[in-house]
Amino acid sequence: MPPDAPLLEIRDLAVAYGPQPAVQGVDLTLRDGGSLALIGESGSGKSSIVRALCGLLPAGARLRGTILFQGQDLLSLAPARLRALRGRAIGFVPQDPQNALNPVRSIGAQAQEAARLLDLPDAAARRRRILEIFARVGLAEPARIYDAYPHELSGGMLQRVLIGLAMLPGPALIVADEPTSALDVTIQKRILDLLATLQAELGIALLLITHDLAIAAERAQDVVVLKEGRVQEQGTSQDVFRRPRSAYARQLQADVPALNPERFRAAATRRHGDDDAIRVDGVHKRFHAGTGIVQAVQDVSFRVPAGTTHALVGESGSGKTTLVRLLLGLERPDRGSITVGGGPVQAGQPDSLRALRRELQLVYQNPFTSLDPTWTVGGIIGEPLDRYAVGRRGDRPARVVEALRAVGLAEELLRRRPGALSGGQRQRVAIARALILRPRVLVLDEPTSALDVTVQAGIVEMLFRLQAQLGLTYLFVSHDLALIRQIADSVTVLRQGQVVEQGPVAQIFSRPRAAYTGLLLDSIPRPAAAAREAVLLDQGGED
Amino acid sequence: MSRQSFLPFAARRLGHALVVILLAYSFTFLIISVLPGDPVSNMLLDPENGFTEEEIAPIIAHYGLDRPVLEQWWRAISRFALGDLGISLRASRPVSAMLLEALPSTLVLAGTAMLVALLLALAIAYASQSLPRRWGQGVARVLPALSLSVPSFVIGLVLIQVFAFQLGLFRITDPNGAAATVFAALALGIPVSAQIAEVLIANLDHEAGQEYFAVARARGLRLSQLFARHQLRPSALPVVTMIAVSIGELLGGSLITETIFGRKGVGSLVQSAVVTQDFPVLQSLVSLAAVVFVLVNLAADLLYPLLDPRLRRRAAAGRPA
Repeated sequence: MPPDAPLLEIRDLAVAYGPQPAVQGVDLTLRDGGSLALIGESGSGKSSIVRALCGLLPAGARLRGTILFQGQDLLSLAPARLRALRGRAIGFVPQDPQNALNPVRSIGAQAQEAARLLDLPDAAARRRRILEIFARVGLAEPARIYDAYPHELSGGMLQRVLIGLAMLPGPALIVADEPTSALDVTIQKRILDLLATLQAELGIALLLITHDLAIAAERAQDVVVLKEGRVQEQGTSQDVFRRPRSAYARQLQADVPALNPERFRAAATRRHGDDDAIRVDGVHKRFHAGTGIVQAVQDVSFRVPAGTTHALVGESGSGKTTLVRLLLGLERPDRGSITVGGGPVQAGQPDSLRALRRELQLVYQNPFTSLDPTWTVGGIIGEPLDRYAVGRRGDRPARVVEALRAVGLAEELLRRRPGALSGGQRQRVAIARALILRPRVLVLDEPTSALDVTVQAGIVEMLFRLQAQLGLTYLFVSHDLALIRQIADSVTVLRQGQVVEQGPVAQIFSRPRAAYTGLLLDSIPRPAAAAREAVLLDQGGED
Repeated sequence: MSRQSFLPFAARRLGHALVVILLAYSFTFLIISVLPGDPVSNMLLDPENGFTEEEIAPIIAHYGLDRPVLEQWWRAISRFALGDLGISLRASRPVSAMLLEALPSTLVLAGTAMLVALLLALAIAYASQSLPRRWGQGVARVLPALSLSVPSFVIGLVLIQVFAFQLGLFRITDPNGAAATVFAALALGIPVSAQIAEVLIANLDHEAGQEYFAVARARGLRLSQLFARHQLRPSALPVVTMIAVSIGELLGGSLITETIFGRKGVGSLVQSAVVTQDFPVLQSLVSLAAVVFVLVNLAADLLYPLLDPRLRRRAAAGRPA
């Protein structure tokens, strides 16, 4: 390989599964020790490129073009040589750490597998090297991790293990496929920090795949923006981030909440009602889990004035889900009271809960699983009208159409089934169903976390419009602080079932009092700050 | 699972197993006692046997047949619990001796058949994952369904016709010889292997679609390593369940296979006991079947936590935050 040839050079790559190409005419280069982010939404082909690079494409996929890695064309390499190269020179860090390790074998057994590619004399020497690497990737008790099984570790620890396994043979390139999208926000930051440190200190090149322009801009030197299998724009992340040339990159930049905290400010000036739509007073809830007792919610209180948006923020285990279940009357609080629209929420009393459902409706997190795939859109949206015998039978279809229009969907979709809709359309259907009973309060449980950012922006816009038109009150549950900063009036930060901090969004985000809130805020990617630092570094000369 | 939690678990499951066995024995006892009359009286009262009233009474009393049913049940079950299976009405020998005589041959047959079934299933499953996709895998995937649709007695007859009569690889006059045993085991094992292979292939396919399989592949593992560690190991649980279910198949199938191959064993014992209405033998055989089922399922239950760490109770270390 010539001395200054790039580490990785992809030329005119095309991947196709069926008649439609998934990737077309993609060129990209990554130099030794550099970092490159592939940005794109679902269906953009970013995963296909990674799978082609790592030799993980399903049988039946068709490939064209060249992938030059250290001067060798991976696509024309014999399978045995490619396999060896994969293990030694290219480390792969997957998307969802919870599913990326074999559940029935110990971490140690799987690490030994990776370590066998090294020239170490025996299992004991390999174990020593594994423990060293585990310590290097920030695992506190390497020996305990070595003996553990995957289900005994948290998502963040598993992702560290996986990064460790990828690092073990001393690769020249680490390919990280959305390495943080399944993790809590504070963990996300630490994992990205770890990858950045390894790249900086060990000179391992990083190919980062992400859907988040803010993360890409903060973490990579160069970016490639993909849409529908084609490169829209590429360049240094500063250029693409500051002066996006393509329409798509501009749209992405406008839709990423972290980059546009004030985007919806104008829409957010609303009429506040005088009374509270939701009142939660001193609520406690605990569960018996196995041998111990879990305090899921401890002394949580908050009020949401009618017509405003309140956000519940917290990581997994913070008690947000339990609070939502308490609000819906699916669980009974051990202590404390909850009122919605002036009426108490009484779990276990069917009549009272039926009345509650007309006041308060829930929109679930994942529209891919929350809609019955055998029903038509019209049936899904109209069902509550029949269940609650609202209006005359003959008038109901008109109300379904009205609800469908309100969420910005065309009437033609009425006869379709969820399978024929996109994720964004499905979530709109779920919102239409929640609104058809004309409730005054909507509980939105991470309603956009399964959706792409451009789709998310559309849904958020629609939620603002509906709130202004109908005077709705929103309780917005999310782990995404950047999004909350855009849309909420007030916020309650939860941690391990307790309120850490609460108050108006403007105040919490500018002057957080609790250290934990500060930690959460730090996890919002700040590419602008990264860019400034880069400029300062440039002025200070080489590091 | 730590040792402290495995032992109570095992003891509890063993207790369940004993209860099931006693219930099964009681159930057969109940069925036999609701049938009109009882085998001993039927035989004694048969005019052809020419017993007189005076001769009959002490015999009836000896068998306890003049006592209330509940007392008879208690006597029978306490004898059964002590391993006393009673005396055969036809052979006038202890049933336990007859069982001990018949068991080894059947155990050898069933054991060999299970081995054959496992090896065949593994071979077909490996072929389904490693052969060229279009032709090889297709054939490997069709084979189980094909052999499931052929009754095992047909397989047995074909094997005898081809390998004994035409190729002379074994002699049907020596049914307990090694070669004959292997062919009998083949006849018995092929349908069982097909069932196991179907479950195995479905699970291997499932594992191959898992993220950890892709990640292990990216780690540079060879196909055979991937197969053994990342496909077969996680598939072990459903296969163990399938094997436990198949044991019943093997016992039922051994009746037919033993008849076709002319072997003496539990199958032929069942056959003669049914024909001659030898109730003590039948009752013992039913209980034996129950014991085998219960023990096999017990073994499977005890194996699960060893095969899948997620089924073990949380160990002392617990889950870190």
